[in-house]
Amino acid sequence: MSPIILNVILHATLQTLEMVFASTAFSVLVGLPLAVFMIVTGPNGLYRLPIIGRLVGIIVDALRAIPFIILLVVLIPVTRFIAGTSLGTEAAIVPLSIAGIPYFARLAEVSLREVDMGLVDAVKAMGGTRLTIIRSVLIPEALPSLIGSLTVTLITMVSASAMAGAIGAGGLGDLAIRYGYQRFNTTVMMDVVIVLIIMVFIIQMVGNSLTRWLRH
Amino acid sequence: MKAPILESRHVTHRFGGQAALKNISFSIEKGEVVGVIGRSGAGKSTLLRFLCALETPEEGQILLDGIDLTKQPENRLIEIRRHIGLVFQHFNLLTSRTVASNIALPLQIAGRPRREQQERVNELLELVGLAGFGEKYPSQLSGGQKQRVGIARALAANPTLLLCDEATSALDPESTTSILNLLTDINRKLGLTIIIITHEMDVVRRFARRILALDHGKLIEDGTLIDFLSDGGQKKTLQPLLADIRPKLPNDVAQQMCETDSPGAAIIMRVVHSGEGVMPPFFGALAQRFTLDAALLQGGVTTISGQPVGDMIVSLRGERRDEAVEFVKELVKSMEVLGYVPHHP
Ligand SMILES: Nc1ncnc2c1ncn2[C@@H]1O[C@H](COP(=O)(O)OP(=O)(O)OP(=O)(O)O)[C@@H](O)[C@H]1O
Ligand SMILES: [Mg+2]
Repeated sequence: MSPIILNVILHATLQTLEMVFASTAFSVLVGLPLAVFMIVTGPNGLYRLPIIGRLVGIIVDALRAIPFIILLVVLIPVTRFIAGTSLGTEAAIVPLSIAGIPYFARLAEVSLREVDMGLVDAVKAMGGTRLTIIRSVLIPEALPSLIGSLTVTLITMVSASAMAGAIGAGGLGDLAIRYGYQRFNTTVMMDVVIVLIIMVFIIQMVGNSLTRWLRH
Repeated sequence: MKAPILESRHVTHRFGGQAALKNISFSIEKGEVVGVIGRSGAGKSTLLRFLCALETPEEGQILLDGIDLTKQPENRLIEIRRHIGLVFQHFNLLTSRTVASNIALPLQIAGRPRREQQERVNELLELVGLAGFGEKYPSQLSGGQKQRVGIARALAANPTLLLCDEATSALDPESTTSILNLLTDINRKLGLTIIIITHEMDVVRRFARRILALDHGKLIEDGTLIDFLSDGGQKKTLQPLLADIRPKLPNDVAQQMCETDSPGAAIIMRVVHSGEGVMPPFFGALAQRFTLDAALLQGGVTTISGQPVGDMIVSLRGERRDEAVEFVKELVKSMEVLGYVPHHP
């Protein structure tokens, strides 16, 4: 493999990693509070706000219903507003995060719902405030499962970021399409696929061992 | 009379039109050990959730140290809950925290300094017999050990009241015994008021001095187990619960027994006695005084909340049987005639 190609692949890999990790970070930062909100406002929740809770749920589901490729296009003006441009790796982080937030929120909601209600009762009965319950029961108890959700989100972002290549986001997906599809250079395409596979393997492995370690 | 520490006044609650508790009134004094017993669905857990201020009944009042829990705003209730310890059937320990940090949680919630938390945790680990287990995680403990942690956690903030919901129902007999001993110890050492909810009469027998029996949401009984045993089976609703711990009529006797007396028949009686000379020497005395055929069919002396109680089924046969029955009646606390076994020469 020529050093030039190697360099191109390395550069694309870094771009993909940037997109994946940045958009997942935003997804968790916004998605986790959303998930907690949906849980605590739900039936038998700590706060009884069923109407807003339901509303948030509907928005989350609506966002999840839109295919990512369409979201990319629809969000161009928003992207331009936030990132200053609608092209490039940084710009792609905007639609990726917007797709990732509701995705992670629903996964995290499931993780949080699995927490034994008896534990919530126990801490409530000790005189814990609702904030204490969220901080010392809901999130820590769901953590191993939340790490699982995080792993799934990272991997989903890997494949979504490849699609973002279509709007000039760069990264491995972009490379595979330009070399492999448009120039019929199958070697590069295969290399890119191998890099993607390795990336997904590593993410899954790290995620699994972290979950196992957290489960005591 | 001392002021009660906990009082339930006419508590009534419905779930979707279905009454779960009906007009429950009782009061408990400081240092008492009370067992609440009832079949599944009787309303025990519902009552407990009111007593620990987790929920509010639709009607009636719950008074803790004279404060009506049903009238307090949520922020006051949060404060009040810190003075009530709760022990759960399924332990409800946080899996994400070590044993020490589980026990420290109530102290953390109450905002105690870290140093004090540590000291108290060590003290409690010692008390529940788990010294050296602080850094383990709940998943590394046996059921009995988990419940010890649950009790330590419930005691952490020096509660005025300890409530246990089926605290031993998920444990094997050996752990049950050790947990009950621990609770008895705690009551004796700390003078703590303890209410234990259970469907197992055996737990109450060994532990509680006073029993509240619930049935279909109603408080059907409030007294000592000895009272229940010696009421001669008048309280039909209690019998199924009591059956667990009472001697049963042997099968062959049950088959031969009939309700009517006949010449030469043996009388089958259930006899309960407590206090002085638990097992009155009546077998010997009866045989001699009335030249009888007296037999113990089933039962003997058991311990009920630390007091020996004789609960047995006996058979008497002989010429002067009726005189002997009168004699026994004078001697024991209660006596109930179960039936007669006809004479077959
Ligand atoms: N949250 C609830 N919503 C509706 N009905 C309820 C609820 N909690 C309890 N009930 C009903 O109230 C009645 C009493 O229930 P409770 O849990 O107090 O019984 P229990 O005596 O604790 O029984 P067990 O021994 O099985 O724990 C039952 O008929 C139950 O179905
Ligand atoms: Mg119950």
